[in-house]
Amino acid sequence: MKAQASIRGGVLRSQLVWSLLGGLALAGALWLSVQSEVDELLDDSLSSAAELLIGPMLESLPPPSSRPADGRTLPREAGPRFIWQLVRHDSVASVLAGASGAPGRPLVSTPAAGFTDVPGWRVYGRALGLDGRMLYVAQSHQERAEVKLETITTVLLAGLPLLALGLLWSNLRLRQELQPLQALSSRLATFDPLQPGASLGRTNCTELQPVHAAVDALVARLAQRITLERAFSAHAAHALRTPLAGIEVQLAVAQREAPAPLQPRLQRVRAAASRLQHVVVALLAMFRSGAKIERQAIDLGALAAGLAVQGLQLRLQPGAPLAGDADLVSAALINLLDNAQRHGAQVVTLSAPRPGWLRVQDDGSGVAPERRHALQAALAAQDYESATGLGLMLADLVARAHGGRLLLPAEPGAGFTAVLDLGAAGEFSSLPTHA
Amino acid sequence: MRILLVEDDDLLGEGLVAFLRCEGHVVDWARSVAAANVRLGEVFDAWLVDWQLPDSSGLDWLRQRRADGDTTATIMLTARDRLPDRLKGLDSGADDYLVKPFAPEELAARLRAVCRRSAGAATQRVQVGPRPAGIEVDLGARCAFVSGLRAELTGREWAVLEALTLRAGRIVSKGELEQLVLGFESELSSNALEVHVSNLRRKLGHDVLATVRGLGYRVSTST
Repeated sequence: MKAQASIRGGVLRSQLVWSLLGGLALAGALWLSVQSEVDELLDDSLSSAAELLIGPMLESLPPPSSRPADGRTLPREAGPRFIWQLVRHDSVASVLAGASGAPGRPLVSTPAAGFTDVPGWRVYGRALGLDGRMLYVAQSHQERAEVKLETITTVLLAGLPLLALGLLWSNLRLRQELQPLQALSSRLATFDPLQPGASLGRTNCTELQPVHAAVDALVARLAQRITLERAFSAHAAHALRTPLAGIEVQLAVAQREAPAPLQPRLQRVRAAASRLQHVVVALLAMFRSGAKIERQAIDLGALAAGLAVQGLQLRLQPGAPLAGDADLVSAALINLLDNAQRHGAQVVTLSAPRPGWLRVQDDGSGVAPERRHALQAALAAQDYESATGLGLMLADLVARAHGGRLLLPAEPGAGFTAVLDLGAAGEFSSLPTHA
Repeated sequence: MRILLVEDDDLLGEGLVAFLRCEGHVVDWARSVAAANVRLGEVFDAWLVDWQLPDSSGLDWLRQRRADGDTTATIMLTARDRLPDRLKGLDSGADDYLVKPFAPEELAARLRAVCRRSAGAATQRVQVGPRPAGIEVDLGARCAFVSGLRAELTGREWAVLEALTLRAGRIVSKGELEQLVLGFESELSSNALEVHVSNLRRKLGHDVLATVRGLGYRVSTST
């Protein structure tokens, strides 16, 4: 099953991923930029240093014919990572002077003006006149790498907290921006579209205005349909209930007036009329939109007393507690008992093997396992038209109204077994609709 | 009891009239609000009113009767079973509300209950007449006991006793009692009531039913 999507979670995940990718790209770009820019900067500093050194050197150095200086009289501004050498290039290059820490041999064996890379050093050469003397200013590659690393680290250390703060801030903003959606969800959770004049009304959030408008339009259509259904239900109820009441009363009068030999027959007719009333009342309740079941503790004995069917013996095994809408459960049982009688049952056992379960087991001809599987599949899919009759359909709808299902378990022995799963006690469900 | 049934369905109305008469009640049947209005000046113990009538709403009719100060015990008979409808019916002045279809035996029991409550009797067994020779009237079982022995009463005799018991302590005029007990027959048999009262006194004791000269009859309750 696909996990539920969260807008905030999705946006945050996207932000995080894109921030990481962006950060990496930025770091890469920064690295490349620093490589060239810092190189350029350091090179500038090298050449500048050379320019600074060259003036005092020209004044303090002996003429070209004198002995090479040992460097002790020359200024030594630089450290071991920044050195300079005064080199004479004759047949062999020789160091005239140099900074402390500078190597004793020339950094560059042949005259090289401008920038040159030698092992370990970045060298900038500058000629001192035309007599073959060269001033070399050099910076170690290690120093240059450290400078680049420090620069990048500093930039990243400054950028990462900003990135984190940005994520936090965007999370907060996202939460604030989603508040109207959460408010809409809360409102919809308690919204009763069947109330007169029900409307979500307008919203200040532009993006939610179409949602509000769509819900209001839906509510209007629903309300219209419910109004029509209620009107139809009221008329149908009147048209069905009043004649049923008339039949009941006329039979009661006939029972009082009829001679004794007719009494058993009238009693059977009145019992059948009473069952018919239960079914009609249950059907009316079942197909009324928005109706709620009235769950209460069910006494199996009292329930069975109203279900007498001629020629069918009812046996009770109460067992676990039962709770449900007694009228609906009665209607379901009446239909199941009629089914049992049609299939030749003599005895029907009503039992409650576990809380919320009402098992109806008969000793009739039953059905083949393949047929039972097909019936169960049809009930599971609520495909009432193809396989099931009114009895199983009504029983299943009653069970679903209670939050359960009608189960057709395989039981040892002959007969047919149906279990009304009335759901957990204490739950109240709306009556289900069906296709 | 004298009952006005306001019901437009012939099958149900005819059946109820027959059943309630079997129960010993006097029943007048109106098939519309207009027909019920014709009976407004008459005395009834109870009204049985259908909600949905051809010319108007039975509920509106009842509401108007209550607004006019009429407190006759009333049971609404209706196909409307939804809770808001039941609440509306009861809030409009009905003393009870019975949803169709119903067992007529239940209707009869509810009739007895609302009339008993209307008369101010908490229980269905009422002591009437002076102590210690009072008799016990069982409004539920529709019989009377004299010194613990059940008195054999005809339907009309019971109707007289019931009408006076439900109005115990107050004087019931002869005309009112005739309407309650005999209904439309009261115009035909002028001395029938005296015959039933005389028989009741013979069976229950002469001092149970007091005659208030020129005004009518009265029974008093002991409890």
